[in-house]
Amino acid sequence: MSAVEWIRFLIGSLFLLTGMVIFFTELFGVFHFNFVLNRMHAAAMGDTLGISSCLIGLMIFSGVNFTTLKLFFIIVFLWFSSPVSSHVLSRLEVATNANLSEHCEIYEDVAVLEQELAAKKDTETATEKEAHTS
Amino acid sequence: MEIYHTLYITLLIVLSFMLLVCLIRAVRGPRIADRLMAVNMMGTMVMVMISILALMLKEGYLVDICLIYAMISFLAVVVLSKVYIGIYEERQHHMEAGKEGETDERS
Repeated sequence: MSAVEWIRFLIGSLFLLTGMVIFFTELFGVFHFNFVLNRMHAAAMGDTLGISSCLIGLMIFSGVNFTTLKLFFIIVFLWFSSPVSSHVLSRLEVATNANLSEHCEIYEDVAVLEQELAAKKDTETATEKEAHTS
Repeated sequence: MEIYHTLYITLLIVLSFMLLVCLIRAVRGPRIADRLMAVNMMGTMVMVMISILALMLKEGYLVDICLIYAMISFLAVVVLSKVYIGIYEERQHHMEAGKEGETDERS
């Protein structure tokens, strides 16, 4: 193999190894967290970033041809479909879990949450001003 | 080209072990959403395996199968979630109807 081919092999295998590390992190997160919505956060990472870097490595291996275009289409499709499936899964969890409030805070009305966040922001700016004056 | 073959075989072995770990999550998951999420993760890993196989065997049409696999796995997650939400709502409806029936009998 010539030097150019060696460089191509090294770059492609670097991308593939990055993808494998991200898949490993995903599995670690899925077994580390205790609740479904936390696990979903770890699992959604592998769906987009892990498979993207794996397929980019394979695209570098395959060169410029029709297979590369199809691999690119797989990445684009997963970018659109993975957030939608995560959203639908979390809706399933929220709709069917009767004691959801044990795991996370629930706001029946979004306006309450907005008021709380605004109040927190006001207190933070007030403390910053005090720190500046003192 | 020997080194490409070695890399592909190594990656396939690592991915198959990760697939087994995903299967453990799918069996152990206490809730339905856990299992569906594990199946989704398995689908992602199988997609990578199919694409590696397509380059290893130099068969471009295997990537088409990978694209169809992505669509079917997405469809499975959406349809199963909708089905389970429907089952839960129907069960709640039945329970409410049963309670109302009991109160009617008491009165």
